[in-house]
Amino acid sequence: MGARDQHGTGAPWGDEFRAVGKSLRKIEGLSKATGEAVYADDIMLPGMLHAKLLRSPHAHARIVSIDTSKALALEGVHAIITGADLPICYGVIPWTKDENALAVDKVRFIGDEVAAVAAIDEDTANAAVRLIEVEYEVLHSYFDPNESLVRHEPAIHPGNKHGNISKRVELEFGDLESAFASADVVMEEDFVFHGSTHAAIEPHCAVARASADGLVTLWSSTQITHYVQREVSRVLGLPQSRLRVIQPTLGGAFGGKSDPFSLEFVVAKLALITGRPVKMLWTREEVFYAHRGRHPMQMRYKTGIKKDGHLTGVEATITIDGGSYSSFGLVTTYYSGQLLTGPYDFPNYRFDSTRVFTNKPPCGPKRGHGSVQPRFAFEIQLDELSEAIGMDPIEVRRVNDIGENTKTVNGQRVTSNGFGRCLDEVERASEWKTRRGKLPLGTGLGVAGSMYISGTNYPIYPNDMPQAGIQLKVDRSGLVTAFTGGNDIGQGSSSVVRTILCEELGLDPLDVRVVAADTDLCPVDLGAYSSRVTFMVGNATIDACRKLRKQIVEAVAAKWEVDAKRVYLGSGEVFDTEQRETKITTREAFEIAEAFHDTLGSTGAYNTPTLGGDYRGGSIGASPAYSFTAHVVEVDVDVETGMIDLKNVWVAHDCGRALNPMLVAGQMEGSAYMGIVEAVFEDHKVNRFGLHSGPSLLDYPLATALDTPELHALIVESIDPEGPYGAKEAGEGPLHPALPALSNAIYDAVGIRLRELPFTPGRVLTALRAKAALDKETKGASC
Amino acid sequence: MLAMSTPISLELSINDDRVRASVPAHWTLLELLRYELGLTGTKQGCDKGDCGACTVLIDGKPQLSCLILAANAEGKKVQTIEGLQPAHRKAGGVGLDPVQDAFDRCGALQCGFCQSGMMLSARALLNENPTPDRTEIRQALSGNLCRCTGYTQIVQAVELAIAESTGAEPESPSWSDGNPWKSTTSLSGKNGGDA
Amino acid sequence: MKDFEYIQPETVEAATAALATKENADWATAKARVFGGGQDLLGEMKTGLEEPSALVNVKWIQGLGGVTQADGGNLKFGATTKLRALEGLFSSGAFQVLSEAAKTIGSPQIRTQATLAGNLCQRPRCLYYRRPEAKCLKKGGDECFAYGGYNKFNAILGGGPSYIVHPSDMGPALMALDAQIEISDSKGTTEMALDDFFTLPSDGDVTRENVLRPDQVVISLRTGLDTPSEWRSTYLKFQERDGFDFALSAVALSLRVQNGAITDARIVLGGVAPRPWRCREAEQLLLGSMEAASLAKRGAAAADAALLGAEPLEHNAYKVPLTKGLLQRALRQLTA
Repeated sequence: MGARDQHGTGAPWGDEFRAVGKSLRKIEGLSKATGEAVYADDIMLPGMLHAKLLRSPHAHARIVSIDTSKALALEGVHAIITGADLPICYGVIPWTKDENALAVDKVRFIGDEVAAVAAIDEDTANAAVRLIEVEYEVLHSYFDPNESLVRHEPAIHPGNKHGNISKRVELEFGDLESAFASADVVMEEDFVFHGSTHAAIEPHCAVARASADGLVTLWSSTQITHYVQREVSRVLGLPQSRLRVIQPTLGGAFGGKSDPFSLEFVVAKLALITGRPVKMLWTREEVFYAHRGRHPMQMRYKTGIKKDGHLTGVEATITIDGGSYSSFGLVTTYYSGQLLTGPYDFPNYRFDSTRVFTNKPPCGPKRGHGSVQPRFAFEIQLDELSEAIGMDPIEVRRVNDIGENTKTVNGQRVTSNGFGRCLDEVERASEWKTRRGKLPLGTGLGVAGSMYISGTNYPIYPNDMPQAGIQLKVDRSGLVTAFTGGNDIGQGSSSVVRTILCEELGLDPLDVRVVAADTDLCPVDLGAYSSRVTFMVGNATIDACRKLRKQIVEAVAAKWEVDAKRVYLGSGEVFDTEQRETKITTREAFEIAEAFHDTLGSTGAYNTPTLGGDYRGGSIGASPAYSFTAHVVEVDVDVETGMIDLKNVWVAHDCGRALNPMLVAGQMEGSAYMGIVEAVFEDHKVNRFGLHSGPSLLDYPLATALDTPELHALIVESIDPEGPYGAKEAGEGPLHPALPALSNAIYDAVGIRLRELPFTPGRVLTALRAKAALDKETKGASC
Repeated sequence: MLAMSTPISLELSINDDRVRASVPAHWTLLELLRYELGLTGTKQGCDKGDCGACTVLIDGKPQLSCLILAANAEGKKVQTIEGLQPAHRKAGGVGLDPVQDAFDRCGALQCGFCQSGMMLSARALLNENPTPDRTEIRQALSGNLCRCTGYTQIVQAVELAIAESTGAEPESPSWSDGNPWKSTTSLSGKNGGDA
Repeated sequence: MKDFEYIQPETVEAATAALATKENADWATAKARVFGGGQDLLGEMKTGLEEPSALVNVKWIQGLGGVTQADGGNLKFGATTKLRALEGLFSSGAFQVLSEAAKTIGSPQIRTQATLAGNLCQRPRCLYYRRPEAKCLKKGGDECFAYGGYNKFNAILGGGPSYIVHPSDMGPALMALDAQIEISDSKGTTEMALDDFFTLPSDGDVTRENVLRPDQVVISLRTGLDTPSEWRSTYLKFQERDGFDFALSAVALSLRVQNGAITDARIVLGGVAPRPWRCREAEQLLLGSMEAASLAKRGAAAADAALLGAEPLEHNAYKVPLTKGLLQRALRQLTA
């Protein structure tokens, strides 16, 4: 990391913070409150056509022929394209480009995109889609990942070197044999994580317009403007400079909008063909097909522990159901092992993870990418080990806390670490000591912990350029405009930029504008994924502010004929620290600076230091900082009906420094909600025909306000040495412990261990019956 | 273009304006609002009545504009999110409707996509019952799915609006010792919220 | 959604006249559909399960909504009475089951628009039925995909050849009050027991859940209890989500209590069978004293009797203990 990327953790003027740490309103909040904010589907352009997709009715088939003539003859149809029109493969990871905007030769799941129609309106486009005739040769379909592990013909991706295996990662650190030999208790168990999906309330939508000179503008509900620009321009054969990608206001993403998607390529191509703007809005069903949700995983964990609570070693074998395409799967496979090595210190570790292809909607990154599933398994096993050695589960977690300024077993650098305080907080707030194990039958408390990355060292495509860039425009009006490639997906990234500008330059929030995620206007930023935004965009913003501040202070100092060190600029006014009556407003300081330097502006950037273990894949999972979380969940289990009633979740999260506590709390609560309800309600799957079992928000139920427990966000600030003012992520880490803490709470409540998700009433009742039968047996035996 | 049956002519009140429109029979109120009238604050989340994002007030009651034929709104009084602030001003208020303002100040507007419907459900609740308890709030909002917030800051927002209308002190959130929303009453929030 | 002709009659006669076409005498050929709240039908049309060429909207017909007194303290509910209106109507007594059932349906927005008759006539929520791609028995195909497939939500009682469960909450509630249903067509009006209105897949037309023809309109529902003032009732529904969800299992229970003893009872189950499922033998077991210990014993016996014929499929065996538990809980609540 260059010196330019480190800015210290204190207030810029050496005294107290003025904007940082305040729960300011969000920069775009009021536009959302009034309905003014423009989301992708709100864009209506003159002459705009509407596009619809024909999707595959088969889970796995070869396309023999496509006849679009009848559809083209329909009045109001302007263009129809198929795979032949967009033959270049794409994929977000450069080494696994295995997707096509429209199927070329093969379809790989029910819902795979086959052809697209642009027509005068949606009804006409839908009617035309029904008139397209496709002949398929149906192939054997894979729905069980265990079959894909061993059977490779027919291959879902015929060019793939390893048949139907998408990726395998095997890494070993230390000596497992002696680790288990030295343990007092060793447990080995199987865990099953079902699939789940993001289900952002806004469906995917894209609009494209091609100008007469061949420039294409693409508005898309994406969280990765930059990668969309790279991939769409490449597939279309356009120079990147001629494709402008804009992310309008985004209606939720959670990782579900972090791949390039078929609709983006299709509307751009159709706009180029027809010369008219083209929009495609996906139906809710189509959003379920697009998926990229959490991978189902079958996991076997073997863990050893000593009587004093110290872990001796962990061994994991994981089969990952990837669905039909690679997406981020290479990273997922690494993450499933690489991210488990904190917050606990274990000296020996081995994992063997295999991701396979199946003929289902493709999986990808969902909030807590790749590490929520292993965390689920491991934290339940840790609870069982605690019981086996007779130690309080919070205490066991304390004993193994990896601590700060250290290295994990797989070579990841950990700097700040507030995990111990997170445990203290949830223990205190839940009244753990006086309540746990002492509650009436049916009520229970459970704990779990986790660690997550704040951005990743691995920038998806290898390059030496900054991960985050920002540009500031300042003028005599007193207004400062920031141009950031960062994607505000509702999490508040543009608000973070504004807060930092207010802090650094002493501005009123209303004198700051943030222009974000427009590739024509903003410097490159890699986008909203891997919890990188606050850390990286924040640091880039400080960088730009410090450079600008230097210019302004220099100009004012020259004007006042004093040493620049004496000029204070931080509270809306600029004054001479040794002669306080010499003061002007910030706006006046900008005037002086503009006269002194000519037109004002600055740029800022952030790049990660060199990090990671010294082995193949050692940089995957390496992050400049890690966040830490602990949850305590309180649950009521109805033994008559198997109903799980979620009562309370206490979420303590170490976010470094809370730049805006209200927004941090919002991320923590949203994460905890998303995690705990995916354990109880959600199940993303296909039926035996490969047909999505229920692609609606009724059949894939999301928790309502009535189902969601009371969420108690408890912010822990560890002040990270490299984060902006010490800040780290808060958007994904706080999800992880929710699921295992719930399982552990259910055990405390009714004595059943649920190791397979989701926790349906049927599953609870079955486990209760099995327990009753076992209890009877043991009782009988002891008589 | 496809052959259409005779379009339906209708007249209704939208945000206190008398509107005459002619739409295909199969158009829903949502399509009328978004496509014909440009009132895009009403969102389409699922188009099947499963999410509540398209909620509007019809004669004061929250209903799903995606599951109501435009023809069925004939003669009705429809309020959309765009009408909330103007109605508040018309009634002599200043600034925003207190529900909108509280949602913003409490952080309830993350992605915001579900929130126009959510705020209208909250507004209808408070019109009917100015001091609902938390269970009543959760019940009244149970037809509006939110995927961002876990509903916590939404419930806090409704409770803040209630507290400020009755002069009571709102319950502190778990992450703050005091009332972090007190000082965000000004729009710029310059002196905003000590947490 | 495909376009259609929109018809808005002002009288029942005009509505039934509009429906009285030759093709509308049979579901297989019917083109026009009665349209009330539309909360289910519009969803079906949007997914392409239904593509009517005409909708006859009965919601604007005067006198088709609202609650009126009927014989002997019974009540009559117009077909287009909104569920929202029923929610707060009864907090005790014979009709409590109706308000309790209404409250559990859909979301507040849906209840505002949805009608009583619409709730009785809504189509199944079966995951296979709702997928237009899956041509199941209910849609004229020749296989019930739930039978050998994913059947967590499907029937444990009365199934075969189709294993859907009836989605209605008002059906069991009204049947627990011996309700009669009034139906009109262009030839006149008939009334029948609601019990006779619902059908099983094995009764005849496997594609339907009741005897209503496409040229008929539901007019009203009338409770038929003997001396309603002596009855009390409750509805217990078990749903995974507290909002926006259908019953995994539900119990509508009504009891006639005279001189401190149960002299008559109705038990109607929802969410477990292809129609609201009345348990006549179990009802008889409930009769007798209100003494707690005896009642608990009889409740357990009744629960066993109610589920005696249950034949769970691969994923829905949990419904058996669940329903037994619900029935006993309903009994405890109603006799507490």
